[in-house]
Formats: sequence, structure tokens, C-alpha cells
Amino acid sequence: MQAFGFFRNKVPVGLHVNVRTNTGVNIQAVLDPNWSVNEVKEKIAPKLGFPASEVKIIFAGKELDDSFKLSDCDLGQQSILHAVKVVRVSSGNQATGIPLPTALAHSLPVMDSNQQGEQGRQIPHFYVYCSSCKKMCVGKLRVRCAHCKEGAIIVSRDPCSWEDVLTPLQIPGTCEVEGCGGDSVEFFFKCAEHVPSVDSLDALPLNLVKSNTRDVPCMACFDVQDLVLVFPCSSAHVTCLDCFRTYCQSLLQERQFTYDPVHGYSVPCPAKCDNSLIRDTHHFKLLSAELYARYQRFGAEEFVIASGGTFCPQPNCGMGLMPHPDCRRITCEHGCGFVFCRDCRQGYHIGECERTDGSECSSNTDDRQAYRVDPERAAAARWDEASAISIRVLTKPCPKCRTPTERDGGCMHMTCTWPQCGYHWCWVCQNEWTRDCMASHWFA
Amino acid sequence: MSGVGGLPRRIIKETQRLMAEPVPGISAVPDENNARYFHVVVAGPEGSPFEGGVFKLELFLPEEYPMSAPKVRFLTKIYHPNVDKLGRICLDILKDKWSPALQIRTVLLSIQALLSAPNPDDPLQNDVAELWKVNEAEALRNAREWTRLYAMGN
Repeated sequence: MQAFGFFRNKVPVGLHVNVRTNTGVNIQAVLDPNWSVNEVKEKIAPKLGFPASEVKIIFAGKELDDSFKLSDCDLGQQSILHAVKVVRVSSGNQATGIPLPTALAHSLPVMDSNQQGEQGRQIPHFYVYCSSCKKMCVGKLRVRCAHCKEGAIIVSRDPCSWEDVLTPLQIPGTCEVEGCGGDSVEFFFKCAEHVPSVDSLDALPLNLVKSNTRDVPCMACFDVQDLVLVFPCSSAHVTCLDCFRTYCQSLLQERQFTYDPVHGYSVPCPAKCDNSLIRDTHHFKLLSAELYARYQRFGAEEFVIASGGTFCPQPNCGMGLMPHPDCRRITCEHGCGFVFCRDCRQGYHIGECERTDGSECSSNTDDRQAYRVDPERAAAARWDEASAISIRVLTKPCPKCRTPTERDGGCMHMTCTWPQCGYHWCWVCQNEWTRDCMASHWFA
Repeated sequence: MSGVGGLPRRIIKETQRLMAEPVPGISAVPDENNARYFHVVVAGPEGSPFEGGVFKLELFLPEEYPMSAPKVRFLTKIYHPNVDKLGRICLDILKDKWSPALQIRTVLLSIQALLSAPNPDDPLQNDVAELWKVNEAEALRNAREWTRLYAMGN
């Protein structure tokens, strides 16, 4: 973190910036960070071809006030300043002065600021996932016109919450690009850790990651770390990023993430607070690439199930299928072509499903009609078939959702391990768990 | 996250605090050969049928701790509707209600509370639970008797 602080607070001696005008002219300029905005105007006006008094400079959604010092802006190398010729006298209701990222330090309640900058200043920090760096980085908040996507736009009010920033078209503005007439702004983030090729990809904001300015200990390891993830519960519980990863990993391994139709596949606060699901699932980008891939696969599967779909039961296939709700005969279209029964997930058959628990499992499905076997494929799949048989031998399906469940000790009271089901059932009766089960065969 | 010898700092911190500020009526000492295995002694709470008894338990912190719950078991025989013959405990925070925000300390406090307030509606030992509901006086007598037989005198 010390490295970040250093990087953010020390303004380089010569600031290389791109100056863009609303007429499409692009010029490079080297600026002295100690200059005031007025001095910048004097410097660049000749290149633009109009007097300094008629130039206004827009950066991150604000017209910069003449007296403002460049070093007080959140300006980095290769930043883009917008120079616009004044058409009318400032109408008064437009925000001028402090650029947004700096102003936001005081107005965004959920945002944090670096505790003690080099010069004792408070500089806001956002954290983003940068797909170029493939990691979490310090980010920069930027503003552009929602219509023409140019940065020459002035916001009419500061955003005062993350909702203002993350919801499109929430904040009105005035676009200064000739002929655009855009009247609303959109916010986006850039990675602050690599010198951007002009207009590099947007970075994904990780709004729950904050600098730990309040020295809150992680609820899992008890250490006070520099960076924390603050869960969206009413208590705002905190874990360090390492423990967040371990927490997600252990839940993912047990497939215990929660599928929520609105927020997607996510996790709640580890203290199990109400309404604490992480809403922005970009935060799971903090996991390793392998775990994130698994997260995406599980999430997609839960979505298929929640939408009434099912999966091809053939080993090495598992194609997601959306058959008609009334149809028991399912064909694995676009997949391996297997035709199976929706209820027992064996090869399709006419009549009742055969019970597939325990000893009876050895009866083969080969003689089933409408079961097309590719002999080569069948030969190659014997290992998987063996594992499928052992799953059938060792497990019983949850009576409600049919998740194969293994009992490795304890009593006969089973709780379905699939979080979306959670059914309480009896291992002996293979039905709902009742007090009668307790009385007659709780342990036996 | 890991401290010396691969033992997470959290476990070291919890152990230190358990030593420095023990919970009244409970002692938990790590095994000298395995810092994840604790020898636990809980005093039977006053006013309960376990009063005067000293109950030994074992507590083990699995590799995934604190993301998964500690494993706790009574070693001393106890007549309690939520503890089975093998000493296994029926306590929600040791199963699906576990959270990494909980600690060894909170687990042991919950077990102490379970001794003060047996819950025959969520039993692990059915005959015990049944008696507790049908004839509480006799159940309490049994509990006191078992306490005297197995939890006193050493």
C-alpha cells in the first residue's frame, strides 16, 4: 500500500497530457504540475488558435477554475484534458472548480481516502479489476458524455453515492462537443497502474474494496490489513482480501454459493447477516483464474436450473438443456445426442422409472429402447461409467431435487447440500424427515 | 495468513487469548504435539443437573478453520438430550450455522449454555430427549446421577 500512496501523491515533474478540443483537435502538451489552470490556458491557447480568456478546461466532469493548481487534480501521465472555446458566459448552475475525484472524497460516503498522503492531503482511492493487468489495481474515476462518449462534458451535480456512479444516466450534464447536445453523463473507471494507451478498456469498479483507514480487524483472521472487503450488510462486516478469497474458495468447493435471480451467483456476509449478498459479482474476479472459471460454470448451471432447465447426464457431456416443461423424453440437442428420461436421468424408457439406489444399480440400461449407443464412445467411457456406478452405489438422491447425496456417518437426518434446496429428509425412508423417523430409526 | 510452522496467526491469537483471559468455568489447552487439538474442561453450570461435574471435551480445528467449524466432542459421559452416546454434540453453530466470525471461545460458551439449558426439541439422543419431555424430574435425576458417576472425582 505504501507503494500506492507514493505513486498517487507524488506528481511527476513534467506532466505529459493530451489536450482535446471540442472540434476534434488533439495536441500533446507537457505541463508543470505547479501551474495554475490559468497558466495552462496561457500555454495551450496559442496552439488552439483562440485567446486564453476564451478557453475553458474540462477534466473529469468539471470545468477547472482558473486559480486551481494542477497538482491538486487527480491528473496522471497521459490524462486527457478537454479544452473548449467559451460559447456563452457560464450559466451559473454548472459545477466548476474542484475536479470530481477530489471533490468526491468528501461527498461519497462509502468511498475511502488515503489516510496520510505525502503532503498530508486526502486523495481518494478507488479499486478496480483491470483486465489488462489481470489483477486488482488502484483506479481512476472518469466522466464522459453518455451520448457521444467524449470527456468534454460538465456535470450539473456531484454524485453522492455509489448508486449515482454505477447507475447509468443518473446525473445530468452538458456536453460541450459541437453538435452533440448530450445531457447526461456516465461514469467509468480506468486503471491507474499502467500508462494507458489512449482510451484503453474500462476497468471494473470493486466498490466493496476499501483502504482500511479505520483499522478494522478481519473477522476471519483478526489481522488488521491495509485493504479490506466491506460486506453490504447493515453491520458492514469486514474481511481482508486473503480471507475473502479463502471464504469464497471454501464455499465454492462445497458448491454453497447462493443463486439469486436478481444479483446472480453470490455469497453473503460470512456472519450470515440478512440481505448481505454481494451484488456486484465482479468482486469474484479477486479469485484465482481457475476458481473464477469454476465460479462462472457453477453460476451458469444454477441459472439453467433456476430457469427450468436440466443437464445431459452423459459423462463428459453435461450440456445445459431447456426442454419443454411437460416433456419427460429429453434429447441432448447440440450436445452428444443422448436421449434420456427427465425423472430418473437414465436412458429414456417407457413406463415407470426403475429405482436406482444401492444394489439394484447393476442392471444395465443398454437394452432400453430409444437409447442410442455409439459403441466407440461407450468403450471410451467405461471409466466414467464406473464412477457413475459408484456414485449410484454410494449415494441416494435427495427426494426433492435428486442431488446425489453420500452419508458418511452421523444420524439418518439428512439436509440437502444444495443450498437452493436444503430439504430435510430421512436416509432410510427417502422421504421428508419426521418425528416418526426420530422415534424409530434415528441412528439405526 | 500463516505464522510460524504453518499455523495461521488467527489460531495463535485465539490460543494466546484463551490462555491470557480464560472463560470462567472453561479451560482449553492446546496439545503439546498438535496446536490444532485442544484439551477442554467445562465445569457444570450452577443450577443445572451438571453442577459440580467436570466435563472433558476434545476440540479440533480442521485445516479449513475458520472457514469451517471446529470439531468438538464430549469425552466424559453425560446424560444430555443434545449429546449422543459417542459424545457428539447437536449444536447449530457447529454445523450449518457456523461462521468464521465465531471463535473457539464462543463455541465453548455455547456448549456451556447448552448444559444450562438442554433443548429436548432438537435432540441427538432420542431416549434421553423423550424422557426429558415426558418426565423432566426423572431426567434431571438421571443427569445428576451420571454427573456424580462420571464427572466427579478426578
